[in-house]
Amino acid sequence: MGPYNRRQFLTTTGAGLAGILATRVAPARGQQREISYLCWNNFAPASDKKLAEIGQRFTKDTGIKLKIDHISHMGPQQAKYASEVQTQAGHDMVEMRMHFPWLYEPQLVDVSDVVAGLEKQYGKAVGSAYEGAHVNGVWRAVPQYHGMFVAAYREDLFKKASLKVPDTWEELYVVGKELKKMGNPVGIPISQNYDSISTAGPVLWSFGGLEVDKDGKTVKINSPGTVQTVEWYKKMFKDCMEPEVLSWSDASNNESLQQGKAGWIHNPVSAYIVAKQRKLVTADLINHHRSLGGPGGRHETDTPRHIGIWKFSKNIDASKEWIKYLLGKREVYDEYIMSGDAFNLPAYEKLQDHPVLRTDPKYAHLRGEGVQYHTYGWPAPASDRVQLITNSYILPNMMAKAVTGTSTKDAIAWAENEMKKIIAG
Amino acid sequence: MAVRAEQIPVGRARPLTARVRGWLDRESVLGPVFVSPALILLVLLVAYPFVMALYFAMSNSFIGRPSEFIGFRNFIRLWDSDAFRQTFQNAFVFTGIAVAFKVVLGIILALLLNEQLWFKRMIRGAVLLPWVIPTALSTLGWWWMFNSLYSVVNWTGLALGLMDPPGPNWLGQRYYAMAAVIIVNVWRGLPFFAITILAGLVAIPKEIYEAAHADGAGANARFWHITLPMLKPVLAVVVLFSTIFTFSDFNIVYVLTHGGPVNSTHLFATLSRMLVIDVGRLGEGAAVSLYLFPLLVFVVWAQLRFVRKHAN
Repeated sequence: MGPYNRRQFLTTTGAGLAGILATRVAPARGQQREISYLCWNNFAPASDKKLAEIGQRFTKDTGIKLKIDHISHMGPQQAKYASEVQTQAGHDMVEMRMHFPWLYEPQLVDVSDVVAGLEKQYGKAVGSAYEGAHVNGVWRAVPQYHGMFVAAYREDLFKKASLKVPDTWEELYVVGKELKKMGNPVGIPISQNYDSISTAGPVLWSFGGLEVDKDGKTVKINSPGTVQTVEWYKKMFKDCMEPEVLSWSDASNNESLQQGKAGWIHNPVSAYIVAKQRKLVTADLINHHRSLGGPGGRHETDTPRHIGIWKFSKNIDASKEWIKYLLGKREVYDEYIMSGDAFNLPAYEKLQDHPVLRTDPKYAHLRGEGVQYHTYGWPAPASDRVQLITNSYILPNMMAKAVTGTSTKDAIAWAENEMKKIIAG
Repeated sequence: MAVRAEQIPVGRARPLTARVRGWLDRESVLGPVFVSPALILLVLLVAYPFVMALYFAMSNSFIGRPSEFIGFRNFIRLWDSDAFRQTFQNAFVFTGIAVAFKVVLGIILALLLNEQLWFKRMIRGAVLLPWVIPTALSTLGWWWMFNSLYSVVNWTGLALGLMDPPGPNWLGQRYYAMAAVIIVNVWRGLPFFAITILAGLVAIPKEIYEAAHADGAGANARFWHITLPMLKPVLAVVVLFSTIFTFSDFNIVYVLTHGGPVNSTHLFATLSRMLVIDVGRLGEGAAVSLYLFPLLVFVVWAQLRFVRKHAN
């Protein structure tokens, strides 16, 4: 073929460009599929590195280019979700925490086919993942991993004062009084953050209380169980904790334990993992025990994370391919879970006794037999309105009011009123 | 290179550059050309978001879902909210106290800076630092200083015997938390007051002071009868701007307290953010952010009227 002259070149390229513009489809040759994935900065940073490594392998194996972006914890992540949904532009996939698939239900692709494949392979998704991502009969996000709250405590202090590891919230009060006298108070946040809700929920459930009934419509916060819970918080605040818990962020209880102040906190294992990674002196002194119970049983907040695909994505099939690659290939999923140092546990039943729990003797209690794991707002279905109650921080604000002088009755009445307004819409 | 006159073809149309030059010579064309970039920016960055906020405030908009027009229902319903009523009160307490402190301290600082000081330029530059550093960054520093675990404020207070252990819980108790956000706001806004007032001070003719001095007026009398009256127009403008900025503050409260404890430091901007981003209620959040708009318009009108009257 001879060289093109200028007229031929212009004619050919002009016709091609017109064709592309008319059909709005780029030519197949040179076209590479590209997907983007937004996830949080994992509290186990090695997990993010592993994710990037797996992503590169995925691109090599499938030819689909994957761009992974990370964003810091809850606040910025939610702002990003909101802006992407409002502008109908942004990432193809987003990592969602707990109940967020309920809040963004109309914007998320049905991924029931992907979850069905994973459940066939690994067994049912854990209960909390089901509660969070199975929205009105449809999987709106794929369960990825979960991390539950356990008790992290200073084993050395317990030994020094001959304290018994508590089994119930009431026993924690007995132990907490001694810890505070030793200058190592209990650290349960009572402020506008998610860790506060993650503890207030289990305490409430364990005392037999609940926020909204199973029907998702009847507010049930005004009950004897709530009275017991609030009274427990009041005495804990007075005798076992310091007022600083009213100003804490999600990270504060971790820092308090790591820096050698708190003697007992309620948190995922991240406090220990970070102490270990940073080689803090407290790392060797921290241990875990399973979450506490009460007259209503032993309940715990779980933090399942899922991967959702926005409906506005133009790469839904390619996005599903990535999810199947990360979670559906057993060796890849195992590799990913192992990198999380027991902070990210597999979200499927058959994988619960995972080898990652045997990598450190201090993870022995993470299996937590007999503990019922739930997402926020249980036993009400994780509907958008129930989650608005969570996101409005009503539970921690009720406790904060009570511990700072409002009567138990008035604090509960305030919470009831706020919850009723939300449920009424 | 010189162009000879015979090279320009006679009878042909004027070249494009000459025609453009001709248009630009006309004021009716040049004026709009100069104004349009600013106008486009204003429309895109101010008018459009404002109209969108108005639309959201009058709808039951929830993130990612279809919405309906509901008129002023959001504005009325907000009064049922405990958090909103608290925020309304907080905004006036926060702005009133912070602006008052900034005026008083700003005048004192400006008077000091107006004196013949050693390293005058360096000191004037240093005073501007809190104004120059990004607010979110400097507030993080303050957060660390007030943090219950690491508080250097408490550490210093305890070391000097000024506080009883464990010291105030700056961010966890409602009055201390409000005090903390006001302190940081005053620290951040003081340079703006001081430098602007200093400009006003420098502009006061020295002859007036000399005449007053000759008449036997002391420092106090000179301040109350010359300095303050002459500074009034400058003060009015500074207070106007500061009132608006303080009412709409976001960074300081968001970084220091997130509006807590129990909403006791929420301002309109932080509550609006919580309602929109955390809860998803775009309509209510937009209504919160617009609530003070009519009041602020009145403040602007009243103060500008005062300035104009004074100028006349």
